[in-house]
Amino acid sequence: MTSETTNPATETDQKAKEAYFTASQGQLIWARFKKQRSAMIAAWVLIALLLSGLFASFLSPYDPTVAGRDKDYLNGAPQLPQFCDGNGCSLRPFIHPVERERSLATNFRWVTKVNEDKRVYFTFLPKGWDYKLFGLIPMDRHLFGVEEGYVHLFGTDATGKDIFSRTLHAIWTSMQVGTIGVMIAFVLALIIGGISGYYGGWIDSFIQMITDAVRTVPAIPLFMAIAAFIPQEWSAETRFFIISMILGLIGWPTLARRVRTHLLTERNQEYVLAAQLCGASPGHVIRRHLLPSFTSYIIVDLVISFPYMVLSETALSFIGLGLKDPVNSLGVMLQSVTSADVLLNYQWYFIPVIFFIALVMAFVFVGDGLRDAADPYSDSHK
Amino acid sequence: MLGFMRFVATRAAMALVTLVIVSLVVFSLMELVPGDCAERYLAFKNTQGSGISVADIEAERVRLGLDRPFLERWTSWLFNAFRGDFGDSCILRLNISQLLGDKFWLSLSICLASLVLAYAIALPVGIIAAASHNAVLNNVLRFVSYLGLAMPNFLLALIIMLISTVYFGDTLTGLFSDQYRDAPWSWAKFLDMLGHAWLPVFILGWSATAFALQTVRALMSDEIGKLYVTAASARGVHGRKLLWRYPARHALGPIINSLGFDLNRIFNELPIVALILTLTEAGSLLIEALARSNDQQLAGAIIFMLTASIVTLNFATDVLLAVLDPRVRKSIIR
Repeated sequence: MTSETTNPATETDQKAKEAYFTASQGQLIWARFKKQRSAMIAAWVLIALLLSGLFASFLSPYDPTVAGRDKDYLNGAPQLPQFCDGNGCSLRPFIHPVERERSLATNFRWVTKVNEDKRVYFTFLPKGWDYKLFGLIPMDRHLFGVEEGYVHLFGTDATGKDIFSRTLHAIWTSMQVGTIGVMIAFVLALIIGGISGYYGGWIDSFIQMITDAVRTVPAIPLFMAIAAFIPQEWSAETRFFIISMILGLIGWPTLARRVRTHLLTERNQEYVLAAQLCGASPGHVIRRHLLPSFTSYIIVDLVISFPYMVLSETALSFIGLGLKDPVNSLGVMLQSVTSADVLLNYQWYFIPVIFFIALVMAFVFVGDGLRDAADPYSDSHK
Repeated sequence: MLGFMRFVATRAAMALVTLVIVSLVVFSLMELVPGDCAERYLAFKNTQGSGISVADIEAERVRLGLDRPFLERWTSWLFNAFRGDFGDSCILRLNISQLLGDKFWLSLSICLASLVLAYAIALPVGIIAAASHNAVLNNVLRFVSYLGLAMPNFLLALIIMLISTVYFGDTLTGLFSDQYRDAPWSWAKFLDMLGHAWLPVFILGWSATAFALQTVRALMSDEIGKLYVTAASARGVHGRKLLWRYPARHALGPIINSLGFDLNRIFNELPIVALILTLTEAGSLLIEALARSNDQQLAGAIIFMLTASIVTLNFATDVLLAVLDPRVRKSIIR
């Protein structure tokens, strides 16, 4: 009797179950990932930061290099868009312009003063400095600007460069350095870990001995030692690639160990034996059979090791051994903040730090969420 | 007992092999720097006004023994390094051991103190977090841990400096007060150092604590679900006694094992934190050697000594684990 009355709820239930059983690995991971609230929030933050890095040139009103500097507003305080002031309100945001004067009254020093009576309105999609979107499409429109003069949302630094524009470009630089570093580390880890795990025996012991020895050396002092060899004359771009490469060259041991452990457990499975009996070469077995068996784990490992690359780069640039000035990165931007002058008077130098903590935290949370989602047994030990 | 001695001997041999490999890496890095000591000595002479020729450089190389093959120079460097003699720095023209003095031991003590601090916080808090089902507590701890991982120590140091200069007007930097900086060691100097050293210890311990907290919590929550814990609680053991005597003892093994890597992580941050807080110890000397004077002999010596202390700690924890854990002990003495 009861079986006759088909309840719509159980029917959708049935469908959900069917979808569950026929779902691909990717769909299952995504379903588990969606359930984790903190990871989802982190994923949105990450996407927002990625997009702002990707469209950095469009979003930033001024060129982040010396070319875009505001020479009348050095070490300038952040200017927040306002809607209301003593003269009433307006729907369009505006700022009060800054005037600079030097006279007997100011003891002949340059003094900047905010003119409360004047308003400079924001304009949207104005023409500005030329840039190439994605490095391809030449454009000169920017998201916002002001009618005359300059607007600096996060203030300016000692040479008058806009900190807001620099921050956006620095996010993109960090992403690039992280990606290149992770990719190099990944390829090395695949080759070294792959050989070690696939062949086993004395080759494995030998490679593991070397890997462990490399792992005992503290990484950042080692980075510093290698980075110190880069000739000072090299251009900022060459430096950028070399630094990313060094990060990758030192970052491989942890990844290689993980790859090896996966391979060691997988290589004794029947499907590997079957492939070998069919006459497949070792390279073919590793590439076509073993690696796909733990792709999801590898992706998770890559996401997790990403923030460490970014942090190492920041640390290196901070002490002056990493990236150099025309290239913007957090470390480059923070180089001068330890001076008492900055600490006491120009605290807005620290604004980019917030973005970087957000970036790294987002990566860590997403990586953690992905790890839980990729592990089919994660539900059982919770 | 014989088995135990054999175990210790093998571990010591493995530690030695690791050190030899590390020394090869460090020594090759030192060699890779363009320009050797002979060129630098003579470049200095050149600035003093006396002209030099290629033959002079060659003669200087022979005098310094730089014309010998790589392997020979490496082995002699290695043997001297084990005796604590790293030769002379050719930039500063001083013996490196003399230059480092007690600075290296100062750095090592700061790092070890932050390691102790990290576990002093992480062990109790991690165990409580694993045992409790309080979602808010667990989420807060997770967030704090991630913040510890995401915020590099040097940013923390910068932010603490920012706050202390804005609100207290003191940058809290340095390791000694002015009157003690060059004074010989005394009780008063030691107390003065303690008054300054708490900040670097706290900053270096910060992310170490975050890491340790995660490890302890994960290990404990794995162990707490196991049957022997249920059996013990069925026998009437409960509360703190249950946690400390059953799962905590099991979780201790992997924690002791990971101490070496924790120290490694702290050493990673040491030079940069030292630079920000203007500590006068080996970390800032390392930066000085690498970023400013390009003094590869000094840098190589410091990196080698840092690594050697990690290897020593790894060896010590291996032996300690064999002493503490009956399962490991039994597997050795067979």
